[in-house]
Amino acid sequence: MIDFLTRRFAAALVTLALATVVVFTVVEVLPGDPALVMLGTDARPDTLAALRAQYGFDQPLPVRYGRWIAGLASFDLGASHAYGTPVGKLIGDRLMVTLPLGALALSWALLVAIPLGVFAAWKHGGPGDWGVMGFAQIGLSVPNFWFGIVLVLLFAVTWQVFPAGGFPGWQEPLNALHALILPALSLSLGEIAILTRVTRSAMLDTLREDYVRTARAKGLSESRVLFGHALRNALIPVATVAGLIAGFLIAGAVIIESVFRLPGAGQLVYDSINNRDLVVIKNVVILFTLLVLLVNLLVDLAYVLLDPRPRVSA
Amino acid sequence: MNAFSRRHVIGAAGALAATAAFGPEAWAQSKTRLVIGMSLEPPVLDPTKNAAAAIREIACPSIFESLGRIDRAGAVGPGLAESWTVSADGKEYVFKLRTGVKFHDGEALDAAVAKFSLDRLFAADSTVPAKSLYTDIDKVEAVDAATIRIVLKSPNSYLLYNLSLGDASIMHPKSAATNDRKPVGTGPFTFKERKEGDSITLARSPTYRDAGAIRLDTVVFKVVKDPSAQVNALLAGDVDTFPGFQAPELVERLRKDARFAVVVGTTEGEVIMATNNGKKPFDSLKVRQAMAHAINREELIGAESGFGTPIGSHFAPHNKAYVDLSKTYPFDIAKGKALLAEAGHPNGFEASLKLPPVGYAQRAGEVLASQLGKIGIKVSITQLQWPQWLSEVFKERNYDLTIVAHTEANDLDRYARDGYYWGYDSAEFKARWREVVAATDFARRDELLKDCQRIIARDAVNGYLYQLAKIGVWKKDLIGMWENSPTPSVDLSGVHWR
Repeated sequence: MIDFLTRRFAAALVTLALATVVVFTVVEVLPGDPALVMLGTDARPDTLAALRAQYGFDQPLPVRYGRWIAGLASFDLGASHAYGTPVGKLIGDRLMVTLPLGALALSWALLVAIPLGVFAAWKHGGPGDWGVMGFAQIGLSVPNFWFGIVLVLLFAVTWQVFPAGGFPGWQEPLNALHALILPALSLSLGEIAILTRVTRSAMLDTLREDYVRTARAKGLSESRVLFGHALRNALIPVATVAGLIAGFLIAGAVIIESVFRLPGAGQLVYDSINNRDLVVIKNVVILFTLLVLLVNLLVDLAYVLLDPRPRVSA
Repeated sequence: MNAFSRRHVIGAAGALAATAAFGPEAWAQSKTRLVIGMSLEPPVLDPTKNAAAAIREIACPSIFESLGRIDRAGAVGPGLAESWTVSADGKEYVFKLRTGVKFHDGEALDAAVAKFSLDRLFAADSTVPAKSLYTDIDKVEAVDAATIRIVLKSPNSYLLYNLSLGDASIMHPKSAATNDRKPVGTGPFTFKERKEGDSITLARSPTYRDAGAIRLDTVVFKVVKDPSAQVNALLAGDVDTFPGFQAPELVERLRKDARFAVVVGTTEGEVIMATNNGKKPFDSLKVRQAMAHAINREELIGAESGFGTPIGSHFAPHNKAYVDLSKTYPFDIAKGKALLAEAGHPNGFEASLKLPPVGYAQRAGEVLASQLGKIGIKVSITQLQWPQWLSEVFKERNYDLTIVAHTEANDLDRYARDGYYWGYDSAEFKARWREVVAATDFARRDELLKDCQRIIARDAVNGYLYQLAKIGVWKKDLIGMWENSPTPSVDLSGVHWR
């Protein structure tokens, strides 16, 4: 088991190292001159050159890569060109919105999808199954930003029980949570659909297993068969997909944050790309990579806890 | 029951604690607090560090003031300078500063501080975005504690105007380096708090000289980029006003709502089909004239839901030196085709139209492409991000056509610049522009400006489409907002709730 996890951890480190090279290269080849973006169309060539030198844009690429990695290693990310704020603080503030949003959406998705999936598998082929699958199909087809706009029109504009957008900050914890509910609901819609389908098919597979028949033959109650025996094994693919979805949630957050004007990390990436705030883009993307790697490591850990077999095969 | 109290009640239904937490929102409509919606987020808050218009909208003149001040009609009046004199040859300006002016951190304004600020604008190592507006200045001298003299290398009839822009904000040496994040100025509002990506909060300055003119205690600038989110923010009561509403197609919805006033005013933004005069076949006057005949301005303004005024040159119709040249090359497809044939392109040609990611360009792009298609020019549209547009179109001049609004006031000087992205080079225009700049008599200058408009209209340098409208939306009981936008600024003096 330790060996299995060590190998996964080493693989994650290699991935991270490769990611820094890819991210740096992509950011550097982005067309656009950050100095020109800052100084605008009236800037004189000498002014642009002075600003480029000030920010080190005139240094050769390997030097700039080296400086960035050295900064990363010493947790000194530098300051945003656009905002003038230290990148660490900028990203930290934004993650305080995006991480709770993603966590809320994922928890909500799991909370709804697993019972629904189990129910659909239990009622396999019946109207209950059809109902759940129909719902999942709609959830997959509806774009989450559109769902978000509908939620705003209903709950913020018409009934005015939720704010139409914005984020008051965690100094007002209840207001902050209040502001995250509609965005988390919109963000979770597609994930609910996917997780419901995965849970259902995984349950259908496990329900056909011999040990389930044995459990039923022993005379165990249906709920113990479903939740005590079948679900535990069915959760392995669900955990895998939930891990993958965590990555998509971050991507989906870019749009949902824009609909609800949440000052989250997704918006930060979007704005930084538009401002060519290179130092912010690089660090945010690497941080996201790190997060996804971390989630995947946690999923690996979850495998081990859910199913002893990887401990042996590793 | 208004929006806030209804939300308040539902919040309170949960628990008493919730009542307390939702409490502050109930204050959102108290009568000295104003929430202003902004389409774009300013990067830093120092106008001498970044060219973004949003910085000027928020900070100038609410936080930072300049020697002169541009009023709602676009005229220059006293700002931090209470008066000035100009020498007969137009090369020497003497400014009398207001006395007793304090910066928000308690520092005093004097001639040395003003000199420091102005020196930064044109210094050799200056990285001020608008440096080119101030390079005619030879030196700035502090005559006494309240007087400065500015000596020019050559007369510049726009100097007073340029010294009244946010670009020439007067800053104190002690705070200049940190103004990007903690702006400290002399204006009616102090910087209180910024939540990046969300909002910027200003509070009334206790030391402002004209306390009676300021009737708001707290001003929050809230960033709402998405147009439908802007409408929702207004409808839900999260935002009191959008001084510059960016989605003309959604205005009808707001007009139907009795709570809001929709006020259409003027801007300094000319929307043009910028043309690469330095590249074949656009170097041919006949080709440019042919394109000018193909442009149907009514249809383009229709794509803006009817907002905008047709123009025929690069000049704002509300300016008193304006001449209407929109009929120089009237909409006439047959004539356009004939001119194209005369220029040696009887079957037309292919051209690219590179669009920046701004609403008006997106809306006009397809319409313009189809209009040019009618005289045989096959236009392919490419969408660019703003930094790409700046590098590819503006800096490298790697383009045929683009659509962009030139939003600065008095920006005809671009036609006299060498190496500008239009590639226009006219000795006649340059000579006339030199006279404009050197003019010491403003009536004479207006006549020269009319000549300048005629020259570029005749040369069909760019396709002149329409003047952007300023669409202001605010709650009906909000008084004193500017109807027009003579300069990028949200001037809050006198703004108050009924």
